Parts: sequence; C-alpha cells; structure tokens
Amino acid sequence: MTSTAAPPIPTAEPRPIAPEPAGRARRPRRRSPGFGILALLPFVLFGLVFAVYPLAQVIRMAFSDVAIRGGVFQWDAAGLENFAAVVEDPVALRSIGNTVLFVVLTVVVSLFVGLALALLVDRAVAMLPLARNVLIWPAVIAPVVVSLMWLLLLSPTAGGLNKLLLNLGLPTQGWLGDGPTAMAAVVIVDVWHWTPVVFLFLYTALQGVDASTLEAARVDGAGEWRVIRHVVLPALRPAVVAVVVVRVIMGVKAFDEMYLLTAGGPNFATTLVTQHIKTLFFDHLAFGEAAAFSLLVVVLTAGVVGMILFLRAKANR
Amino acid sequence: MSTTTAAGPDVRRNRFWVEATVVAVLVVAVVPIAWTLLLSFLPNRAIVSSQWQWPFWLGNYERVLRDGVFVAQIANSVAIVVGTVLICLVVGSLAGYAISRLRPPRWIVVPALIIAGFVPLIPPMTLVPGLYVLLAQLGVLGSVWGLILVNAFLQLPFAALLMSSYFSAVPEELREAGLMDGASEWRVFLHVMVPVVRPGLAAVGVFSGIMAWNEFQMGLTLTSGGATAPVTVGIAGLLQPFAVTWGELSAAGTLAAVPIILMAVFANRQIVAGLTSGAVKG
Repeated sequence: MTSTAAPPIPTAEPRPIAPEPAGRARRPRRRSPGFGILALLPFVLFGLVFAVYPLAQVIRMAFSDVAIRGGVFQWDAAGLENFAAVVEDPVALRSIGNTVLFVVLTVVVSLFVGLALALLVDRAVAMLPLARNVLIWPAVIAPVVVSLMWLLLLSPTAGGLNKLLLNLGLPTQGWLGDGPTAMAAVVIVDVWHWTPVVFLFLYTALQGVDASTLEAARVDGAGEWRVIRHVVLPALRPAVVAVVVVRVIMGVKAFDEMYLLTAGGPNFATTLVTQHIKTLFFDHLAFGEAAAFSLLVVVLTAGVVGMILFLRAKANR
Repeated sequence: MSTTTAAGPDVRRNRFWVEATVVAVLVVAVVPIAWTLLLSFLPNRAIVSSQWQWPFWLGNYERVLRDGVFVAQIANSVAIVVGTVLICLVVGSLAGYAISRLRPPRWIVVPALIIAGFVPLIPPMTLVPGLYVLLAQLGVLGSVWGLILVNAFLQLPFAALLMSSYFSAVPEELREAGLMDGASEWRVFLHVMVPVVRPGLAAVGVFSGIMAWNEFQMGLTLTSGGATAPVTVGIAGLLQPFAVTWGELSAAGTLAAVPIILMAVFANRQIVAGLTSGAVKG
C-alpha cells in the first residue's frame, strides 16, 4: 500500500532550494502526520471508550462480587467464584450446547439454501431483477419484527399455519411449545431472515466466475451438474469461507429472535448464550456470573473464528 | 450471461422451471411480510377465529398511534437513527480516509485496525454488563444519547472499513493535485475527496440507519423501557402481557418494517454494499 510513488505533478511553483534528503524531495511538506492522527482519533476514542473500557469492566466484574446498594455498584474481590458459578450452572452449559447446535444448523442450512438460490437466480432471466430486489427484504427487517411476523404464523392460538391446518382438516401443532420443534422453528426463522446475506455473497461471487471457463467446460460436453461441481464450486470457495465466518458470528450474536419467539423456552430448549447473559445480569442480578460467562463466550467465539481463519489460511497455502 | 450452448426444447423447458422456482422462492420470502400486513387490517376476533374472515379495519393503527408511548418510541428511534448516521458518516469517513490515504503512525493505526476487526466479532450482549456501568458513569443510561453513542460504536467498524475501500478507489493524483494547489489537508478532504465518495457515504448512511432502526438488545438492556425505549423494544413490549392484541402487534410491526422495505426497494444498491461489507475484511 505504499503508493507514494505517484508521478510527480509538474507545478509552476519553484522547488524548495534547501537541500533535502533524496527520498523526501518529492514529498511535499504536508506529509506531517498531524491530520492523519486527528482523523483517526475519534474512531479510536470510540473504540477505547465503548469496547476496551466496557470489556475491562466485564473482566473486573468477572473477578468481583458485585452488588447494587443504594443505586451504586459495590465491588468486592471474588477471585474465581464467578467462574465456578458458571461451571456449576446447568443452564449456562445448556445454553452453550444450544448455541453450538443453533450455529451449526443455521450456518449449514442457510449456506445450502443460499448457494442453491444463487445458482438458481443466476440462471433466471425474466425474474432476475425482481428476485435481486425482493430477496434482500428479509435481511433488512428488524429481527424483532421478523420474530413477530413468524409468531403470527406459528402461534398456537392465532397463528396462520395452524389455521390453515385446521381448515384442511389436519391436526394442529404446538410449533413453539415443544423443545425440538421450538429449536427447529427458531432455526427456520433465522434461515429465512439471513439466507439473503449468503445469497448476496455467493451471487456476487458467481458474477466473477470466468464465463469462458464455463463455456469451455460445456463445449467439452460436461453436464450442468459437473460444471457446477468442478468449475463453479471451486471458484466460489473464498466467498463460501467468508460468508461462513460472517454467519457463525451472526449465530453467536443471535438474541432478538429467541427473545420474542420462545424467550429461551420451553424448558431452556432454545436458551442461547446471549439470552442467558441477559437473564443472569438483569433478572438474577448475578452481575459477576454474567460477566464471567460473557468473558467465556468472547474467548470461545474468538477461538472458533480463529480456527476457521487458521484452517482457511492452511487450505490456501 | 445467457449461455445458449444447446438451445432446444430441453433448455426452454429448464428455463421455465428456473423462473417458476424463483417465483416460488419469492413467495416464501414475502409470505410472512404479507401476512403481517394483512393481519394489521383485521380486528382481533377475526384473527383468532378459526374461520377465514376479512373485515377491513383500521382500528389497530388508530389504537397504536393514539398510544402516546408508541409514538414516543418511534420518535426515539428516529432520533437514534439520525444521531447514529451522522456519527457514522463523520467519524467513519474520517477514519476510512486516514486508514486508506494518510498513513498515520503505527501507534494509532494498529489499535484502530484491532478495534475495527475485533468489535464486529464480539457478541454485543457480552459488553452489556460493561456498557451498563459505563453509561451510568457518563450519566446517559436510559437516554436516547446513550443509545446513539452505543449504536454508533457498533456500526463504526463497518462504516470505517467501507469508507476506506471507497477512498482507496479514488486516484491518488486527485489528492496530490489538491494539495499542490495549496489547499490544506482538511480542505482537500472536505472539498475534493468527500464529493467523490458520495456513493460510499450513501451506503454507510443507509445501512447504519437501518441497523440503528432495527437494533433491539441495547435498547432493551440500556433503557428502562416505556417512553424511553426505541420502537423495537416497544413492539416486544406489546407481546409481553397475557392478553395478546395480535392486530395491534401486526400494525406496530408493519409500521416498523414498511419504511425499511421501501428503503430496500429504492436504495437496493447501498444496502447490498452494506450487507456484503463483511467480504471486505473476509
């Protein structure tokens, strides 16, 4: 990125006569770093105040016994007590398991659906402009509103889906009231909501696949599936890895959908880590344990993302 | 892109199925949205009835909008969107410009890049205990100001990285020429560079605005609810009581979703740039 070697633009101004070091002669005086620092400072300050400081507070809280007395936080050293509480908390462990399951299911399903959609829309002609516009709609709606929309379909009392089943003479289902179907419903909602992102990544990457390579493969008599498997998919691999990383992170962050659809229930079957942090902090007022658990989640997330990036770097070598 | 290698009845039949499947997919994408829109015009008894009845009714909107709290929440969300977009545009474009064009010293670039790369990885909920303490100390806990700052912080890494890629695409000669003419760095930035990257500013503005409008976790945890909360929290609040008013819920959801969908229709390109911005760093 050292593009300082831009061709010197001739100027009418006389060059400074003072002898300057050869390399610097071309650089005008304004290379002082002042403006660069000034321009970057607000961003760094935002990061320090809203990420580094809160993270430091979370770390401090994780090792403290914190209580609110008279509207003020009281901090007492607690050693590893909070971490012990997390390890002994069955819901905390369950929420990690749920999150892993949720992330794996949503990433895999949305990846396959998004890939199929990208290949499909790429082949469409008449519907292409409409599809490219409408397919991003789900991704821009607020997660809270998305779960509301699906609640209006899945609710046992007012839901459209049960009404449809009833009118068709079929037995109604308690979609969100039963552990496995509740998790399935939550996964379906997430896939509906975020597959557009996968689609966009892969569709954009598809446009970059060399058309003449495809043509050559087809002329050689390769069927459409063979072309997809041996030419298109390898070309899409970098985009697939990128979107998997993005989707894994989104999955770990997920909170809003569950909060409205199931509130983590029934019986903690859909309690994700984010939900549990919120419950610990705001409902149980177990500030220290909430902070310790947050810290654990950050470390686990960083580990998983780091592993994916490491595997990618290894595969690229 | 039409690869008519073996044009024949076979291909034409495939074409039909491709288009038909796309239509089916679009229906799946639209049904939950359309269903909510539909219910928002129905009275509750028609919604919970086991029969299909469609008496057109505007009462849901009337009730939701007559409720001062919901209107206050919409106003809060609008204020949060405006504040977040302004901060993202100013701070994000300055940071993006510095990273791509100014080569500031390492001691400030490295922390900036770590923040830009790390913040999007952390689940915001894990910062909530710390943010709660911070906003209390700043005296903005539970206020729109606090939520503007937190939302801006959450969107800034994306804004800075996207702006940096837009600034990188501007030829260096443009900047050099401005500086040669004797303009200060600040003037060159404002009068030469910023006008060139207007598409980037539009993308950052549209996308960070949508994200701020949609934000829920911070609104839920860093306000005390009611008239201090953003509209997403208000919608969630409508659901809590046991007597669920489905019609009003649909109306509130529609009011929150329709402006955003209209944005998606008319600012499609900017939103696509925002949604795929993860690819920049990936």
